[in-house]
Order: sequence, then structure tokens, then C-alpha cells
Amino acid sequence: MADLSIAVRHIGDVAVILPTGFINAHTVREFEEALEGQVQQGRYKILLNCKDLNYISSAGLGAIMGLIETVRENDGDILLSNLQENVFAIFDTLGFTQLYRVFGEEDQALAAVAPERKV
Amino acid sequence: MAAKVDHAQFRLVIPSQTRYLNLVTGLAKRASLVAGLDDATAAKVSIAVDEAVTNVILHAYHGEGEHSVELELRFTEKALEIHIWHSGQGIRSDQLVLPDPKEYIKHPRKGGLGLLLMSRFMDEVQFKADAVSGRNECCLIKKIS
Repeated sequence: MADLSIAVRHIGDVAVILPTGFINAHTVREFEEALEGQVQQGRYKILLNCKDLNYISSAGLGAIMGLIETVRENDGDILLSNLQENVFAIFDTLGFTQLYRVFGEEDQALAAVAPERKV
Repeated sequence: MAAKVDHAQFRLVIPSQTRYLNLVTGLAKRASLVAGLDDATAAKVSIAVDEAVTNVILHAYHGEGEHSVELELRFTEKALEIHIWHSGQGIRSDQLVLPDPKEYIKHPRKGGLGLLLMSRFMDEVQFKADAVSGRNECCLIKKIS
């Protein structure tokens, strides 16, 4: 199994990114490209559904951090959902849960970022 | 009568390449469970080891993949110790400045979080230089409560 695979779905103007596996210094470029690809397409509402993300190191946090200003300057945001316990611990330990909106389920995040959409 | 063995240890040497990170963090997690730590703590130890080994590969060796990183896991009654040795550019504990998470959130930027994660997830993080061998060491300690 590859260390990381990434699936992307578009729901309205929201890009839902589902990373599966591990985001570390070895795989972070693939993760960065997935994020940057959405921004280059003009999609500034990005939801990271982390249900299959086993862990994320500071390299992955840096990739998210590197884009947050760009998406917010364009009336978008990066949201997080379905965090496993250890992934939540990483975000929470660094205070990132104050910087990003975190939701238990994907539908809750979609309702928050695209309230006109019926879930 | 044989001497009483009060600890166990073993070593692993990997090339300085990020492709082996997953192998090392998997080992660190399993070792943590063997040492008696719970699942959540084991996950934190594995992240700390990921950060420490990544620092060695990317910063001490500047991303050069032909060097070696040596890890030693020591199991004692009171703690799991993970020692990481390398021959690249070293840092000392007194040279470290950890980012303030509150300031970091106010002024987001890439980088600088690895050391913070290591210090938050482990009970002790030490950086040492061995003048005789010329090698540098990062020592991560997690106490077993």
C-alpha cells in the first residue's frame, strides 16, 4: 500500500479532499499539489475529510498553513472533518483547532461552508 | 549467577531518506506499546520520532540521501528512550527556540512546528554532541506512568 493516496470530490464549489494514509516529509509534496491544484482552479472552499488519515506531521501542517491566507483572501476557507483521535491531538496541541473550523462529520462541514446546499 | 538485566535495547540504522520514515514511525509506535504506553501516547511518540528523524534528514544532512541515521530504542522500567544519532550538522538544546503557538496562530507560516510537537509529545527532548566521535544525538524520552 502506498504511504499516501488522495481522492478529490467537488460538491458545488467545495473541494472535498480525502487523504488516505500518512502525510509526512516523504508524502507532503503530493498533498501540497492536491491543495494547490484546487486553488489554481479557483476553488477556495476546501474541506479536508480526514477519516482515513492515519497521521499528519508538521510537514503536512505546514502545507495547510501555507495556503490558508490565500484561500481566506478569496472568501474561502480550509475546513477539517472526521479527525481521528491522534490527528486531532496534533492539531489541538498546536492550537490549530482555534485557527481552523473542525467538524465531526463531512456533512456538518459542508452545511457550514455551503449553507444553501441541502444535506 | 547471571547479572540482572534491568533494561533492553536494540538498534536500527536507516539511510537518510524520507521513504523510510513510515518504517521508523511504525516501529516507534509498536515499541511504545511494548513498553506499556497506551495507544494515544504511542501515536504521539511515533509523531515525535517522525519529526526528529525528518529534522536529521532535511536539516542535519540537508536532504542528502547517502548518509545514515542510527536509532536505538531503550526499554527501562521507568521510560522508553529513543536515541537518534547522525553525523550531520548538529544543534544543541541551548540553541533551540521553540515557537510560541499563540504567536504562530497570529502569524501563520510554514515550518517551525516539528520541535514544538516533539517537546509537547515527549517528556524530555535532548540534543547532544559527542566531541570524540563527531556525531550528534537527539534523545527522546517518554516516561511510563
